[in-house]
Amino acid sequence: MRTGVVALALVLLVLAPVRAAHAQFSFDARRFGMGGVSLGRDGSVSRFNPAYRAVKKRSGLNGAPKISIPVPIGLIDFLQQHPLGKLRYDPMFNPDSAGFNPIALMNLITSPPIFYDLKKPPAPTNDVEFTIGKNAFVMDLGQAQALVPEQEFGLGTTSRVLDIAGPGFAGFHVGVMWFLHYDIGLTLDDSLRRVLKNADSVHANSVYSILGDATGQSGIAPSISYSGRLTHGAGGADSSDDGLYLGGAVHYYLGAGYARGRGPAGFVTGTPVFGAAPTPLLDDTLWTSNKAFAKGVGGDVGLAWISGPFEVGFGINDIGATLTWNDTKVQQIRYFSAGDSITTSLIANHVETKTKLPITYVANSAIRMGTGTTVGGDVVNSGRGTIIHVGVEQRYTVFAIRGGVARDQRKHMQFGFGGGLRFGGLGLDVGVFTHSPSLSEKRAMTMATSISIY
Amino acid sequence: MKAFATALLVCVAACGQGKAIFNVDVYSFMAGTGKDTIPYIIPPSTTASVSTVQKLSLPPGFGSSSVDSVKITTGNADLQNAGGAGSIGFSLYFASDSAGTYGPPAALNIPATAVSGVETVPVAITGDLSGVVDSLFKQDVLWVRIEATGTNGSLTTPVSGKGVLTALLIRVVLQDKVF
Repeated sequence: MRTGVVALALVLLVLAPVRAAHAQFSFDARRFGMGGVSLGRDGSVSRFNPAYRAVKKRSGLNGAPKISIPVPIGLIDFLQQHPLGKLRYDPMFNPDSAGFNPIALMNLITSPPIFYDLKKPPAPTNDVEFTIGKNAFVMDLGQAQALVPEQEFGLGTTSRVLDIAGPGFAGFHVGVMWFLHYDIGLTLDDSLRRVLKNADSVHANSVYSILGDATGQSGIAPSISYSGRLTHGAGGADSSDDGLYLGGAVHYYLGAGYARGRGPAGFVTGTPVFGAAPTPLLDDTLWTSNKAFAKGVGGDVGLAWISGPFEVGFGINDIGATLTWNDTKVQQIRYFSAGDSITTSLIANHVETKTKLPITYVANSAIRMGTGTTVGGDVVNSGRGTIIHVGVEQRYTVFAIRGGVARDQRKHMQFGFGGGLRFGGLGLDVGVFTHSPSLSEKRAMTMATSISIY
Repeated sequence: MKAFATALLVCVAACGQGKAIFNVDVYSFMAGTGKDTIPYIIPPSTTASVSTVQKLSLPPGFGSSSVDSVKITTGNADLQNAGGAGSIGFSLYFASDSAGTYGPPAALNIPATAVSGVETVPVAITGDLSGVVDSLFKQDVLWVRIEATGTNGSLTTPVSGKGVLTALLIRVVLQDKVF
């Protein structure tokens, strides 16, 4: 069991940075200090907005560095506290230890320790109190009730693990990308939520379940893309970046594999509650691809407009990206109380099923004033909720101060502030930001540090 | 049952180093079944015992946990004496099966309470069972036997009546070990 837990944790640790990087755009302390906002040209929105690929990369755009290198103080601190050679005995990873706390482990997974935690995500260690009667079962989780989600919870994202742009001409390029999409959603039914969150008693002859819906798919997509500048500013093409930019891409998706599971898992109480053993409930449907090379076509489009200090952009990805899997197996997984066994039965084989990649979009705007002030905002949706960032930076000679706010995927307000020092071509940035781990309503606070090369 | 135990343990595990506390309402298992009542008739100049046995079901999955304490936090009974004068005491026995409750010494003895004539006398049943029956409370089934022992000092008049349990809550504190 211990090995399984640790293995699962490590797998998720590998996947989690993809998600974090995707959600936060980068590991740039400057951006964290501005609440996570991406400032168009000097941000990372070109991942979402193909129009930005036509905008020239200019260094020194109002303090924007060429390269930002994260300083992983958090990782150093983490490895000091959890030496690699002693991981086997580390309470963090060892379920046999009295100090093992699965919430702390989940916090680690959802908030990888790249940067230094000023305020760690809460991991409740309170007592759990049960009241047991012949026809009553009350579970008071105390402070841990705050961890019980009100709505669907889970994680998921669409990543372009590799996006290789090949040769091209006149704004057209061919390339190939490796896409990865996963989404895990869990929803407590009302009865179970009341039991866990409100310490309501379990009742006789009642169903208590979690509805799960998990999908994972991956593959490659050869692409043809275009990005170009449609109009120029008054001074011509080379005098400034002013103009209207357009970008687009068509992808031919080739799915390598996919699996989806959906259904309830829980238990049904007997009568009386503690006079009869509850019956497990499991009645799920599982779809799996038998063969690779599902096919589908989708596309990206983007627009960007730059006028002097002002710019605005909008990009949208994976439009119409529906993959058709020609050879899919559909199975039902059920629990049978007679025999206390789980059986898998084939519902259909070699059938066609379709999956979708969620549409991802970003809208961004920024204004760079001549006084050293930069203000920006963006709205991003990468398939699991909308994130809004607004941030501002003020530069004074070698100093910079920054601040920002964000609304995260779970509609929680988050805050960021920070500063920077620049000496010639080298700078050091510090950004402090708040964030709410997946299993907590409370905020944690992390300090990001990075070295900037101008 | 395994699935239920797993779900329960996940909830407990979510609270890290916290403890699992069980308030077992023993009375609720006995109420309405007749087992909450112990009728007694004690002939003159004798001591007699009568008991009731009850099975208790507990959440599964705590076999590897260690028990910090087991206490009867709330316990009440009424001695509804119908006639005669004597004294009635209670003893509680615990075991993993019903027959086993007749073997070991009592886990808890409640001193005898005097009764006389037609009257109802309340009796408090409280005590610390820690270290005596700890391991039983890590199981998902255990049995409890409540024995009433009466003494009649009269040479002529029998003592009769019934002991009626009105509340019995046992609090078990476990240091959970869930995997």
